Order: sequence, then C-alpha cells, then structure tokens
Amino acid sequence: MGKKRTTSGEGRERQRLPARRFRTTSPAALRADSVDGGSLLAPLLGLTDRAFSDCPDLADGAMEKMSRVTTALGGSVLTGRTMHCHLDAPANAISVCRDAAQVVVAGRSIFKIYAIEEEQFVEKLNLRVGRKPSLNLSCADVVWHQMDENLLATAATNGVVVTWNLGRPSRNKQDQLFTEHKRTVNKVCFHPTEAHVLLSGSQDGFMKCFDLRRKDSVSTFSGEATEAGPREWAMAGCVPILPVLSCRILRLHHSFAHGPMQDAESTANDARESWGCPLYPLGLCSGPQAGQSESVRDVQFSIRDYFTFASTFENGNVQLWDIRRPDRCERMFTAHNGPVFCCDWHPEDRGWLATGGRDKMVKVWDMTTHRAKEMHCVQTIASVARVKWRPECRHHLATCSMMVDHNIYVWDVRRPFVPAAMFEEHRDVTTGIAWRHPHDPSFLLSGSKDSSLCQHLFRDASQPVERANPEGLCYGLFGDLAFAAKESLVAAESGRKPYTGDRRHPIFFKRKLDPAEPFAGLASSALSVFETEPGGGGMRWFVDTAERYALAGRPLAELCDHNAKVARELGRNQVAQTWTMLRIIYCSPGLVPTANLNHSVGKGGSCGLPLMNSFNLKDMAPGLGSETRLDRSKGDARSDTVLLDSSATLITNEDNEETEGSDVPADYLLGDVEGEEDELYLLDPEHAHPEDPECVLPQEAFPLRHEIVDTPPGPEHLQDKADSPHVSGSEADVASLAPVDSSFSLLSVSHALYDSRLPPDFFGVLVRDMLHFYAEQGDVQMAVSVLIVLGERVRKDIDEQTQEHWYTSYIDLLQRFRLWNVSNEVVKLSTSRAVSCLNQASTTLHVNCSHCKRPMSSRGWVCDRCHRCASMCAVCHHVVKGLFVWCQGCSHGGHLQHIMKWLEGSSHCPAGCGHLCEYS
Amino acid sequence: MVSVINTVDTSHEDMIHDAQMDYYGTRLATCSSDRSVKIFDVRNGGQILIADLRGHEGPVWQVAWAHPMYGNILASCSYDRKVIIWREENGTWEKSHEHAGHDSSVNSVCWAPHDYGLILACGSSDGAISLLTYTGEGQWEVKKINNAHTIGCNAVSWAPAVVPGSLIDHPSGQKPNYIKRFASGGCDNLIKLWKEEEDGQWKEEQKLEAHSDWVRDVAWAPSIGLPTSTIAGCSQDGRVFIWTCDDASSNTWSPKLLHKFNDVVWHVSWSITANILAVSGGDNKVTLWKESVDGQWVCISDVNKGQGSVSASVTEGQQNEQ
Repeated sequence: MGKKRTTSGEGRERQRLPARRFRTTSPAALRADSVDGGSLLAPLLGLTDRAFSDCPDLADGAMEKMSRVTTALGGSVLTGRTMHCHLDAPANAISVCRDAAQVVVAGRSIFKIYAIEEEQFVEKLNLRVGRKPSLNLSCADVVWHQMDENLLATAATNGVVVTWNLGRPSRNKQDQLFTEHKRTVNKVCFHPTEAHVLLSGSQDGFMKCFDLRRKDSVSTFSGEATEAGPREWAMAGCVPILPVLSCRILRLHHSFAHGPMQDAESTANDARESWGCPLYPLGLCSGPQAGQSESVRDVQFSIRDYFTFASTFENGNVQLWDIRRPDRCERMFTAHNGPVFCCDWHPEDRGWLATGGRDKMVKVWDMTTHRAKEMHCVQTIASVARVKWRPECRHHLATCSMMVDHNIYVWDVRRPFVPAAMFEEHRDVTTGIAWRHPHDPSFLLSGSKDSSLCQHLFRDASQPVERANPEGLCYGLFGDLAFAAKESLVAAESGRKPYTGDRRHPIFFKRKLDPAEPFAGLASSALSVFETEPGGGGMRWFVDTAERYALAGRPLAELCDHNAKVARELGRNQVAQTWTMLRIIYCSPGLVPTANLNHSVGKGGSCGLPLMNSFNLKDMAPGLGSETRLDRSKGDARSDTVLLDSSATLITNEDNEETEGSDVPADYLLGDVEGEEDELYLLDPEHAHPEDPECVLPQEAFPLRHEIVDTPPGPEHLQDKADSPHVSGSEADVASLAPVDSSFSLLSVSHALYDSRLPPDFFGVLVRDMLHFYAEQGDVQMAVSVLIVLGERVRKDIDEQTQEHWYTSYIDLLQRFRLWNVSNEVVKLSTSRAVSCLNQASTTLHVNCSHCKRPMSSRGWVCDRCHRCASMCAVCHHVVKGLFVWCQGCSHGGHLQHIMKWLEGSSHCPAGCGHLCEYS
Repeated sequence: MVSVINTVDTSHEDMIHDAQMDYYGTRLATCSSDRSVKIFDVRNGGQILIADLRGHEGPVWQVAWAHPMYGNILASCSYDRKVIIWREENGTWEKSHEHAGHDSSVNSVCWAPHDYGLILACGSSDGAISLLTYTGEGQWEVKKINNAHTIGCNAVSWAPAVVPGSLIDHPSGQKPNYIKRFASGGCDNLIKLWKEEEDGQWKEEQKLEAHSDWVRDVAWAPSIGLPTSTIAGCSQDGRVFIWTCDDASSNTWSPKLLHKFNDVVWHVSWSITANILAVSGGDNKVTLWKESVDGQWVCISDVNKGQGSVSASVTEGQQNEQ
C-alpha cells in the first residue's frame, strides 16, 4: 500500500492538496470523489475479476486521503495531552472523526460530539434533540464514517440503525432510520472505502448491509446460514443446519440464480415475496423454528479486501462473509470459548484479524490461509470487550474489558502475558476505545461507564513491563545462589557455545531465539544456580563440621584436638587454631594427648591449605596468624612422612591416648604456644608468673624442643612445601616463615623462663570475645561448640541470654540442614534451660480413659465422655494428677508415695481386690 | 568465588520474576510472566521439573515457601490481584487457597517465621498489606493494613522470630510471647516496620527514610547469632542501605550505604548465616557483600549472570564475541 501511494497516488495527491488545505472541498464533493470508482452496487453485483482487481486501487485511494490528512494536519492538531472530561451520562461507544479533531460519544442517554483541543475537550454538538427521548437515541454503538466527516451511524438498543448527517441545516441531524433488526443492534460499521455502505450486527442474530441511498437493507446475513456450500471449511462445533434453513438457503440460491446479480434489491424482494414477510425480509422466515440465532456481537469490514467482512458471535464463532453472497459465509471457525465480543482487522496486514472474547483472550488469526490460523493469543485479566490495533505499530493492540477491570491495555501480541502499556484513568468499565488517528500511535481516546471521556497519551501510560521485576535472586541453604535474569539483557550470551568441560559445571541450556523475528518485546529469562565458596556463603563446611565435631564424652583435650583436626581437614585453619589454643589454655599439660596432637599438627602441615581463609583476622589476628605459621613450620619441620604414619592409626590413638603419656612433640607445641601467649601478655607480669606445679613440663621435653628448633627450616624444606600440590599459591606464607623461624630460638629461650601456666580463668575474657567474634562472623556453630565443650569453664563469662540465642540459632540451622542427630545432641548438651526443654516440647503422650477406653482430650485425669476420673488413688481415693503408679497385675494404683507406703506394710492391693501386688 | 553449578532450563515462556529455594535447599520454585509457577528439584545439581502450577491469570511476581513443619506449601502472588497458596498432597501440587482481597497487582509475599504459625504477608500495588493467618480446616483469616504505602507496596520481609531474650523471660513450657514484626518497602520510597499490637492490630512502628526512589526489595537478616537486627533495602535509585538496630528497646535504626549502583537494584538476599548479602541489579549482575572488620561493606564477589568464573575458555569466548 505504501508503495502505491508514492506512485499512482502522487499525481492525484498534488491536485487535491490545495483544495484540502483550504478546506473548500465540501463533504458532498468528497463523497463523490470516493464513489467515482462506480456506485456501490456496481461492484457489489458485478462479480467480475475486474472488480476484484480494482479494489486495491480503490482502497489505496481512500487510504491515501487519510494519510494526506495526516500530513496536512501536520503536528497542529495531533498535539495534546492526557486529559479527560466529564460526560453527562455513561458512554457506550465512541468514534473519531477522520480528521482526528472530533470525537462522538454515544450512550443510552448521551449522544454528543466533542472537539479535541489541545488542552481540553469542547462540546461541539448535542445530537440528542427533541423533547421526548426516543429509544432510537439509546445508542449501543456509534461509528463515524472515515471518508465523510458529516456522516455518522448509530446502533440503538431497540434495534434501530440511524444515520446522521451533520451537514443538515436543521437542529435534528438524523438522516435515515432503518428499523429492520428485532433486537439491540450491537455494532454498526461503515465500509472503509464505500461511502454508502453500512453494515450492522444485532442481537437477533442477523447482519444487515445497507446502502444509504436506499430505504432498507440491501442484504441480510444470518449467523446461522452457514456451511451450505462445498467450499466451506467446517470446524467442529458449528451450528447444525436445520432443514428449514437449508430450504431457505436453497430458495435463496434460486433467487440469486434467476437474476444473475442484477439488483440486490430485487433479490431481497424475491426473498421477501417468497416468504411473504414484508418487514424483515429474511429474519422472520428463519424465525423461531430455525433454532436460536446466535447473537452477533461485532461486524467489521476488512480494510484490505473490498468484499469481505468478519462477524463474531456469542457462541464463540467467527464468520467471514463475502458481501455479495448473503446466502452463506465464506468460512466459519470457533475462535473462543464463549462469546466473541469484538474483532478488528489489522490496518496493514491483510488477513490478520484480532478477536476478543469473554474467555479473557485476544487471538490474532491469519485469515489468508485456508484454515484460519491462530497466530497469537494474548491472555488478559478480564473478558475482552473491545480490541483495536494500534496504528503504525504492527504488533500492538489495545483492549478494554466490560467488567471487573477498568483499565485499558495495550499489548504486544508477541508478548502475550504482560501488557506493554496500561491506562488507568477510568473509574468504571471502559466501554469504547479508539485511536485518535489511523496513522498516529500515540493518542488513544476512550469513553467509560464512569461518564468520562479520556484522551490518553501513550507516553503517559504506565508500563507494567517496566515495573515488573526482571530478576529473581535467592540465597540457598548451602550458599548456592539462584539467579534468574532477563535474557535479552545478556546479549553477549547469544552466541556462546555450550561448555562441556568440567562435570561440575553442566552444560548451558540456551533457548534458541527465533532469528527471523528479533524484537525487543520478547522476554525470556535464564536461570542459573551458582555455587559459592566458603567465603561467599557456601555452607558445606557447616554440615561437615557439625557431623564430625565431638562435643562431649571425652576429655576436654581430646575433644579440642579432635575438633581442631576436623577444622583443619576442612581447611578452616583459624578455627582449628582456636581449638588448639583452647586445649592449651584449659588443659593441664600432663593430660595432653600427644599422639593425636602430633597428628593434627602434621596433618595441618601436609594439607597445606591456604592460610588466608575467609575470616578477616580481627583482634586476635596477630596471635592467630603467627600461631598458624608456627604450627605449620613445625609440621613441616617434622617431616610429614613420620607423622603421617600415626594418622593412619588415628582412631585407635584416640581411644587410648590417655595411656600414652606425654610425647615429645606435643610439648614442643605447648612450649611454643606458651611462648606466644607470653609475648601477648608480657605486659602483665603478675599474671604471667603464677606457679602451677601441675603445669611443669617434663624435663625430657626440652632437648627435643631444641631439636626442632635446630631442624633447619632451610630452603630445601620450603622447596618441599612448594612442590606439594596442596600448598601451591601460598608463596606469601612461605616467605613469611623466615622471620617466624628466627623467632623460634627466642621462643625456646623464653620457654625456659616461663615453664608455668596461666590459670584458665585468665583467658575468660579472651575466650568470650572470641566466641562473640565467631558468632558475629556468622559462625554460630563455633560459638556453640566451644560453649558445650568448655562447659562450666566459660559459661559464667557469657550472659545467659546470648548463650540461649546462640543455641537456638544453631539448632535452627542444624534442623535446616536436616542434621537431626546433631541438633538433638546439642539440645541435650545445652545447659540453657529454655533450650534443653526443646526436646520435650513436641513430645506428646496420648492417654485413654480406663473406663470407656476413649482418648482423653483436654485434661489427663478426667474423661470428657464418661465424666469419671480416670485415675483414683487406691489409698487416698483422690484423683492422681501427677505420677500414677499401678500394678500391672490388677491395674490398681495411685499416688506413688501412697502406694509405696502401703506396700511397706502390706503386700495386698490397697484396692482390696486380693491381688498380691509387687512394687519394684 | 562463584561458579555456575547449574543452569536450569525452566522453559518459562516469558521473563522469570522470582526464584526461591525451599527451606532445605532442595527445591527451587520459579515464577514467570507466563502465569506459571514451576518447581524444580535441584538436588545434586540436577534440575527435575516437579510441578507446573497454573492458576494465575497474570504474570506471577513472587513465590514463597512456607516452613516444612506445615507441609509443602508455596504461596504465589500475581498481577491478577490474587494470592494463591499451593499445597502438595501425595506428590501432587494443588491450589489450596486463593486470596483475592487486593484491588491491584500483588507484588510480594512472605511467610512469617514458623513459630508464629502459618501467616502470610502480601504487599500489593493498591498500597495495602494483607496478612493471612491459617486458622485451621482450610480457613484463612485476613487482616489488612490499608494504605501502608502510597502508590504501592513492593516488598515484605518478616523479622526473625528468634530475638535475643525472647525465650528467657518465660518459664519453660510456656509459649514465648513473640513480638511479630515485618518490614515493607514501597513506592513512597520508604521502608516501614510493622508490629503487631497486643490487640492483634498491626501498627506502623518505624519509618526508614533514605531512598530517593521506589524501594524494590527489603530483606530482614536472619538472626543467626547476631546481637543486632539488620535490614537490607534496595531501591530504584540504585542504592542499597543496611539498616541496623543495636538496641531492640530503643528501636532506633541507623542506615549505612552499602553501595550506589548505576542501575536499579532489584533484589537483596541474605545468606543463611546473615553475614553475606547478595545484591542483584539492573546491570544483570549479582554481587556478594560482606561487612569487613571496620564495619565497611566490601564486595567479595562479582557474578555475571550465566558465567560466573566458570572457566577461562568461556570467558575468552565471550570477549572474542564482544
């Protein structure tokens, strides 16, 4: 069409332009213009090929004029803003004049024309004239001719179709009155290019085509006159053809046949005569016996196919008609489940028809194929009352609903779930929508039951898509991160090849976008699950640690060592070090389970996990850092080969380490650490020197200690370490070993000076701070574990409330990770009353009444049903509310105290049953 | 730091708006504009579609898992103004309740801590927040806070039930008297804190003012061992604030700017131990943040959607394309 406009239309355009500009062309002249291709009836009746081939030209001619109007109007008229004006009454329909400067609003008690000015609507004309309001003025629909700005048609609720000529000099502009429909006319529609052709669709099930130059309809189309010919593409669910109907159709065929399409009126007359029905040529004949005629909800002339119109029905069908063949529809298909309220032909795409139904869907059909093909389906929130394609936007259409929802939506049909834009101005149901100009996509007019007329600016529309959250994010339990994001944002991804390297990272799934139709409206999301490492919130360590930690049942030192080992094996060196320190602080050296410690030290060295773990070394950092280094250097110094042997027999070692006595390397460690502690607390000499005979180290320790210091921490050893696959990347640590090593000698000296231990109490504050530190770091596990392991040693330093909070947090976490056993153990070991009662919280005892054997619901001692006290004491004859002891032989019993007392004196049952009760 | 372990092929037909893992981290629920809610089994890096829940008539904005002690329950909220509560019975998911008490799109749903019972908070574009409480036998009691946020409420998040000292004040066996609180964020640029009064009415307790545009998400940090209450809020203005309240009694909250991003920040999500905050923004990136020793928030990781630090080869490939 666009091409045509530039070629054939050019000449005409130039000729007409001045006239249009000065607006001298009278409406009459315009009408003559459009009809110059011949009168309506010529093409209507002349079923020639020529007629077909002429049509596009004709249509183009008409469209040309409109586009010219746009240019002629320029920006002068189509400026405006979002605005609304109050109407006197609810509107049922609106229609825009072709110059886009005026809009007509029609309703049950309103029929007015408003001028659309820049800032406001101005009432131009009230078409409801006359003293007594006629039902003819109760409009269900209104349409403004798109070629003749003086011509309007309304559909009345009483079945009358009225045309209006604004050019009439009198106040009453009513032109013609067609009273052919029996019931409400739902829709009127002008032919897009023919000035005189008007189509109506009514609740009575008929569509009528009027030539405005005649007094009555030219042809009538029945919603039921379907599927007669062999050419029909029947779809399941069509209305069955009743005999009467087919008979009528046959007659019609006959009448058409005898006068080969000379005059439509004569045809109609024929029909009328043959059934003897003057007023409703076809309507009455099909009458009641023809079954329920399906109400016509919408009729629309095709914009591109001259003879074609579409009609929609309450039973969900859509019919396609050739205006020359009133006997039967060209095709019919079921488009919706339930009534189809509206349809609209695409302004550019020939054969695209949008339909909207009560089933809340808008469907776009391709009618060019043999079988109507559903191209798109948009699901709206409420039933669809009106649908209008948006000009200049190929995939956009506007919809409004007839109930529930008052908003107007503009959809991109390719994105069927989210409206592209939304107008929320109306307070009641929107009844009419119209794009202001057929070539302008930004102005939408609407009328509503809330008695207002609105002009919406697309720019001002709210865009649900924009408001919608395009991303989903969730931290999973194990620190994995689920992240969904809009795919179009990640353009770089489009060409990525699937990655199939590591099994841990499965293939990327990519949904292929259709390259034929790349557009911005489409949205899809990619959802990925990420794994984070411990520092990033990964929680594997938590589970492992929880499962492997030993919290009770062994000597403190052993527990500490075990836990230190666990932590070390999981690469949590700081935690491991803390455990080691705790052991040192709280255990007397005589009890040090050395073999185990050896092992853990050696292990630490051999694992060689990177020193820098996730935790920021806070206040304890200097001490810990150097300790770790110390530790490692020792582990390294003692060649792993020796110590790894013991790791193999770790379990057995643990079992009998008590008996193993102190071993040399452990003492080294102790010595070292004490040295460290001394360094830390040297400022406090009073505390630094309390004598504690128990802590005196065995003499044998010293020579060996020197041995380790003497062990050259030389380069070849460091080399060793670097070669180890585990330690790669800890160059910095390796480098830092040197100064530590040098401090060894110092330490060994200082050790000789401080061979005594500080009392554990001294560390109370430090340990407390440490626990708080761990808890704040999110490692409440450490806090609780230490709390349990150390028990009374630290409990007094930490307030009850905090302890309880740690406990409950930790238990919560454990349960989340389904570590029920650990959780139970923690509850059991906890010293907080509130926590330990958790284990009893969900324990239920079900008690049945001893008399009626039914469950006792509310209280444990009175049966609700037999109203007897279930458990009477056989001695005192009172109800037992606490412990009830009973003889399993005779089932008599009572208060524990009473029975015990009774049985001291007698072996017979206190109830007097003669049973010899035994109490054990 | 971060690597992709699983890319879930959701076969959603439109944008995904939310993804939530369940309490045990084994299932992933997603919801999309295509009106569907899908549940995947993601154990061991798998992705098995368990359920495809259809019932909404508009885009589904958010989903929320209830605590497993009440069974397998999922709540979803949608543009269609409805909240649907889904329940799994004998392996099949079915709609168990539908709440249609809002006049506009429902943007957010969040289950209260399980200690309170089954309570769901829903924030809607109509500005109201409704609270659905399960009263047994399929009945839900509705309380509504009207006009909670003008223009609309975008997010709701409950305070953890475990508040220090909440158990200690009461003799064992007696049910502790929890103070129910939640936070909400809305189009009035505010984060509001709500508290249930003794008469069961909800009252605005606090207004947190810092953002200059719509608040998109709020996340109350789980209180795992932490002595303070912490709320993260993110906004259209690109800023993420961390609000902390050291003293529950004084109820004074102080904001700290985590970062100003160049684009909208859509989501904030706390790690389970509340020490790491994941932030996702309009630039399609997820960043992980952690509070450093000196109290500053530092970015510890950058996740570019779909790649992470998967492998050098992939990254190179991408660079070549660009």
